[in-house]
Amino acid sequence: MKVLCVLIPHFPLKCEIMRNGDLQNRQIILTRVAGAKKLVLDYTPELAGLQEGMPLQQAISRYEEVTLLQADIPYYRSTFSQILDLLEKKSPLVEEAEPGLAYLAADGLQLIYPDDNALAACIRETLPAALAARIGIAGGKFPAYLAALYSQPGSYRILKDRDTAFLAELPCDVLPVSLKIKKRLHDFGLHTLGRIASLPPGPLQSQFGPLGRKIWELALGYDNTPLYPRPAAETIEESTVLPSLITSLDALSLACEALLSRVFARLAQRKLGILSLTLWTMSWKTEYWEYRISFKEPAMHVHNILARIKSVLENQTQPGPVERLGLKITRVGYQYGQQKSLFPEVRDRDHLQESIKQLNCRSGSPQVFQIKEAEPWSRIPERRYILASLNH
Amino acid sequence: MVQDSGKTLYTGIIKPLNIPEPVNVSEDKTGLPVSVRTSRRRRVVLLEDRWRIDDEWWRNEPVARLYYAVLLDNGQRMVIFKDLTTGQWYQQSC
Repeated sequence: MKVLCVLIPHFPLKCEIMRNGDLQNRQIILTRVAGAKKLVLDYTPELAGLQEGMPLQQAISRYEEVTLLQADIPYYRSTFSQILDLLEKKSPLVEEAEPGLAYLAADGLQLIYPDDNALAACIRETLPAALAARIGIAGGKFPAYLAALYSQPGSYRILKDRDTAFLAELPCDVLPVSLKIKKRLHDFGLHTLGRIASLPPGPLQSQFGPLGRKIWELALGYDNTPLYPRPAAETIEESTVLPSLITSLDALSLACEALLSRVFARLAQRKLGILSLTLWTMSWKTEYWEYRISFKEPAMHVHNILARIKSVLENQTQPGPVERLGLKITRVGYQYGQQKSLFPEVRDRDHLQESIKQLNCRSGSPQVFQIKEAEPWSRIPERRYILASLNH
Repeated sequence: MVQDSGKTLYTGIIKPLNIPEPVNVSEDKTGLPVSVRTSRRRRVVLLEDRWRIDDEWWRNEPVARLYYAVLLDNGQRMVIFKDLTTGQWYQQSC
């Protein structure tokens, strides 16, 4: 299986620089929140000694004069998703390993691209030059990753069948195994892949079990791990910038209700319900929070989902006052069964909702609103009530 | 994969109510309102109440307002406030 690996080191940082060119020549640390801790997500490569997941305090103690930025994870995901969309135009099977790392199945493309150089050059031209993506082509995911890792930024490297000369010089630290196992390999004097490959598989198996055989195979450049292409699923995203900072659960629920209404306005025509969604918020100072909610059966009504969202919001603390809120519908499905109501008042309500929906469709924007309490206790009068669109 | 992810960013699905409206107010030397211009200029005959709101002091644009409930010479009651960060006067129902 021929695999092409696209590696974009420091992807979150490059996204920030693409968004704001003024950051180009500055030393930056991107931070993320994990519970009560702030951790390093990414950093300028010149800042030696830092690593992802390091507590921010440790990082700052080494470099005082750096610019700290809160990570905008939805933006990075969205950017990488766009990159994967571009790659899918070149090969239908694209695996999203992690942000900044993707694998493409390169088998069967020889009719379009006469050789690997043409394929790699085409992929390189497809991607934005600012990302300086590294590309590797080899007979499996792991050797393709190593080829990309050891190519120049914005360039590519192609490994022919079992290019043992290239692999032999690489340190054993590149193996996808735990730190403990890497340390044991060093303790045995097996500092390079070449040293590991020179051994028969038996001794490694006796020391490391089934993983020993895998290590031996990887050291030889043999990796039969299958490619897991991302599923061709439809996703729907709705998000809103809130008119003011929101701290109350009621106001958050109202905003969620408005977003769900928009989602159902799209889904209802196709008689689809929601099976899985991700609720996310962006707080003041852009702290990101998300929560995934799944349903056993497709939820067909706003109020079913809203009850679940309310319980999540009650039990999960937001990192700060919420400025942006969004819903990402990741799985939809057809309902299992539905019986129309016998009661005329329910049917009247359905007719009214249908009329409102048609009105909104004609004008292209919400036309009917209702007044709802947001923060009735607020000292600021305009925060007490809001107008929420009524399109469900 | 679907080309259009359908991602949208709306600001119009939730709207605040009772947004303050700018109003032309004349002050005396001590900063108290003496007249308010609505359709025509009206003299303030009575300051019925006064209160201050300070909030969101941690933001770049903190809320600092000095509210007055005033009675105008045509008998109209009105709530106005002075934005202490910009100095602009507004009218708002409370």
